[in-house]
Amino acid sequence: MAESQVDKDLIRQLVEGDISEDNVTRLQKMSRKDKDRFFQYVEVLQEKVPWDEKILLRISDKLYVVATQEGDRIVKCECGHEFGDYRENWKLQCRIRVRKTLEEFKEVYDPEPACPEPGWQEIREYFCPGEHAAQLAVEVVSPGYPIVFEMLPDLDVFYRDYLGRPLSDESSQWYKDQTTNVTQSWRSRREAH
Amino acid sequence: MALDYRGSQGGKTAAVPGHRTLRDSVEERDRTTAATGHYYGVTELTLRDSDPIKYERFYARLHSAVLAARESARFVAASPGSREMGECLWGLTTPEGDTLAVSLGFLSHTAIFPVSVRYMASKDYDVNDGIDDGDVFAVSDGLTGGVPHPGDFYTFVPIVVDEEVVGWSVGINHLMENGAPVAGSWATFSVDTFMDGFVCPPMKTGTKLRQSQWWKALWERRTRAATMNILDDKMRLAGCAMIHEATHRLIDEFGIDYYKRAIREVIEESRRMIVDNIKQTTVPGTYTGCAFRLVKYKGLQNIWSHADKNTLIHVRGSVEPGQEGLSLDTEGSSKWGYHSYNATPGGTDCAVFLGMINSFGHNTKVTAGIDLAIERNYPSGSIYNPDNEYTSNANLWAQTIAINSVGFNAVNRAMFSRGYLEEVFSVDGNWGAFQGAGTTEDGTSYGFTNFEWLGGTGRGAYCYKDGEPLIWAAWSQIATIGDAEEFESTVPPLFYLGRKLLKGYCGHGKYRGGVGNSAVHWIVQPGKHVALTRPNGGLSCTTAVGVGMSGGYPAPSSFMISARGTNMSEIIAEGGETPRDARELLEMVDDGRLKVENLEIWKTDCPELAFDENDLFVDAAGASGGWGDPLEREPSAVIEDLNEGWVTSYDFVKNLHGVVATQNKEGEWQLDESSTVALREEMRNKRRQESVSVFDWWSNEREKVLKKDFVPEVNQMYAESLSFDKFDREFRDFWQVPEDLVFENEEE
Ligand SMILES: [Zn+2]
Repeated sequence: MAESQVDKDLIRQLVEGDISEDNVTRLQKMSRKDKDRFFQYVEVLQEKVPWDEKILLRISDKLYVVATQEGDRIVKCECGHEFGDYRENWKLQCRIRVRKTLEEFKEVYDPEPACPEPGWQEIREYFCPGEHAAQLAVEVVSPGYPIVFEMLPDLDVFYRDYLGRPLSDESSQWYKDQTTNVTQSWRSRREAH
Repeated sequence: MALDYRGSQGGKTAAVPGHRTLRDSVEERDRTTAATGHYYGVTELTLRDSDPIKYERFYARLHSAVLAARESARFVAASPGSREMGECLWGLTTPEGDTLAVSLGFLSHTAIFPVSVRYMASKDYDVNDGIDDGDVFAVSDGLTGGVPHPGDFYTFVPIVVDEEVVGWSVGINHLMENGAPVAGSWATFSVDTFMDGFVCPPMKTGTKLRQSQWWKALWERRTRAATMNILDDKMRLAGCAMIHEATHRLIDEFGIDYYKRAIREVIEESRRMIVDNIKQTTVPGTYTGCAFRLVKYKGLQNIWSHADKNTLIHVRGSVEPGQEGLSLDTEGSSKWGYHSYNATPGGTDCAVFLGMINSFGHNTKVTAGIDLAIERNYPSGSIYNPDNEYTSNANLWAQTIAINSVGFNAVNRAMFSRGYLEEVFSVDGNWGAFQGAGTTEDGTSYGFTNFEWLGGTGRGAYCYKDGEPLIWAAWSQIATIGDAEEFESTVPPLFYLGRKLLKGYCGHGKYRGGVGNSAVHWIVQPGKHVALTRPNGGLSCTTAVGVGMSGGYPAPSSFMISARGTNMSEIIAEGGETPRDARELLEMVDDGRLKVENLEIWKTDCPELAFDENDLFVDAAGASGGWGDPLEREPSAVIEDLNEGWVTSYDFVKNLHGVVATQNKEGEWQLDESSTVALREEMRNKRRQESVSVFDWWSNEREKVLKKDFVPEVNQMYAESLSFDKFDREFRDFWQVPEDLVFENEEE
């Protein structure tokens, strides 16, 4: 497939999941990927979401890092729910349901011998607090395991060095895991009780 | 084919003052590469740029030599894994062991070549003993050779010109049997290297492209499948001889000076391409993942009391694409232990490079360039880099495949963010196999490995479509499960009653993974003895990876069932139905059609299982993970799954996907649209009711962390992982727990 043949409509089909097998194969067989894919992708996504903040990066099916009018970079769900600063693990702002027993495991794994072992493992489901209560992430981990921060992008390096279009608000502070700020505030909140 | 041996033209390396030794080569490669960031300090691709046609013709000749070696030599082999499947590989390397070209097969094994050569160089093999053109070296040791597990066996043949090693041809395959106390090719219950079976640090076993007679004696006396192993050994050497010959001809044609320069340019060229691919297709940042694996040895290791314990292995990896490639940090993963799942840095590379070569090496020459573009941190003392020279690495692959999945998923997340969705899927890397030994009625003993569920597994869900069954294998481009008859012929008493896809056995989501596989083996005329064990990549007590993709569930791992003492003879005599997969077997036991005196379901390592006439052995493996919120699965796709038999239970899919359907007289499922909309709304409400804020959850869980209120294996896992600073910091920061909270390590 020539680079020019990868247009916005094809990317929209890929995003929506109604792309044909032939087109998938053609895209997979490109020896070099089309260079402007990212910007076309973001255009498709920006048209899809019901809000106006500028998308900086899509980080999962429904979650985006967006630039707010106030100059923040936050995680925002396609439903509009805002999770706060993108440097803090967004999972900490979710609703969580934890499956701990074999009966609960059997509702999502089948047949029974395929189920993880209770005690050694638990299944955590992270839901969006927004109206749609979407399941945003699943973890199958040992009890007591710190919630996994799946992805902290280095947006400044991405836009400057990978894409060649630097962001206007670059700062050395943007690429820094700030999740501990949340857990620290939680501890204070607990101790205040 | 006549292989014309040309060793006399090469001349033996020797301790000639001022002569370039292997040690000189390795040192110069290390120094110049580190100083310049370019392979061997090659900053300009002068040969390529001045005459690109000549350069590509040179490379095409190298590449075709290794491709041809595999396609001819594998027909020398006796083992089905090599002949039929992707369980072998040939390559050509530089004098330092850096890969120039590889055949089809399990390509990431390029990782071990420089480890073996570094060892030979550091021990002065070429100076002390001398290395002659066409010598034959054998390697299967993890520590000195970088080998992922001793079941993988390597043949190295040096190419010597003017008393200097100028390259190595290398052949590899996975043996049928490697002579450990636990029969087969992954000695699952080894507690140290001395139980790993036939393990060879780099050693000279032949000259002039011929193996020595004593070498054959070792296969005969130290393994349980001598005929297959000797033929496989001949296969590796035959391929190496072809590459050796082709390389000499190439050097004659292009000249040694051209050859020496071109091989460095080839590696630098591909390094650049990989770095460029990483920048073109990923997003820089930090991607973190984890996985767990339970080693259940408690009660099974009475003889080796120091190993008689359970270990929950923690696999932790973070990946950071950057300016000059990508880095992988495994800090926080468990320490090494007295079990068979320890890795070595070379063996870990072998796993980690799978995802990296697949993702970034597809449009360039597959060379050591990947080695230079991917920086790895395997902390000393960890399971990836034990600070003990005698650890077992017999079943390394079962565990390191998880760190590959963590890395591969990181790349897939990055490509998702970048918009290259066509490449993005959920990676699990579940595999299964079984192995063992037996003695026939006439007293003939044999050992075996059945590789079938290593040959083909389900591919995880893409972010825009379901995954497919069977068509994927993380470790090879050639996904094939081989012929059932081939495996029946290698294990005389085992007959397949069924070999099929296992309905519903996958990770679910908006898109589901390709379902896994299951087989039922019927034991007929077991002779004096037949017994087996199973070395799975992932056992269902834990999932293969710990983090699902975008709300999808990671794949369930493998399990097995032993059904000993059955009424199979009556069922067969009556012409009754026999079980064809794990689910059918369990159903038949439940409804009484199949009677079993001793039914055991194994979600962890099974001890050796001995079988008698009419016993059944059942396994399931190769499931793959889902993608996205299961409540968003297209209702028509759920109906299709029901009607086509991809899932078994309507209640299961109704409760998972919120889809209501009715069955017509013909048994066909039809969607009830309005009830589906209502049920989905109800399920969203249920999610809200049954969930709590993460703050509330954290507050409660933190109390358990403070009390260490977990099963012993989990506490032990934290004791080990918290001994590495990075994970310790993360754990304490997350739970806000004091330094004096210490998880005790039972061993100390
Ligand atoms: Zn939402």
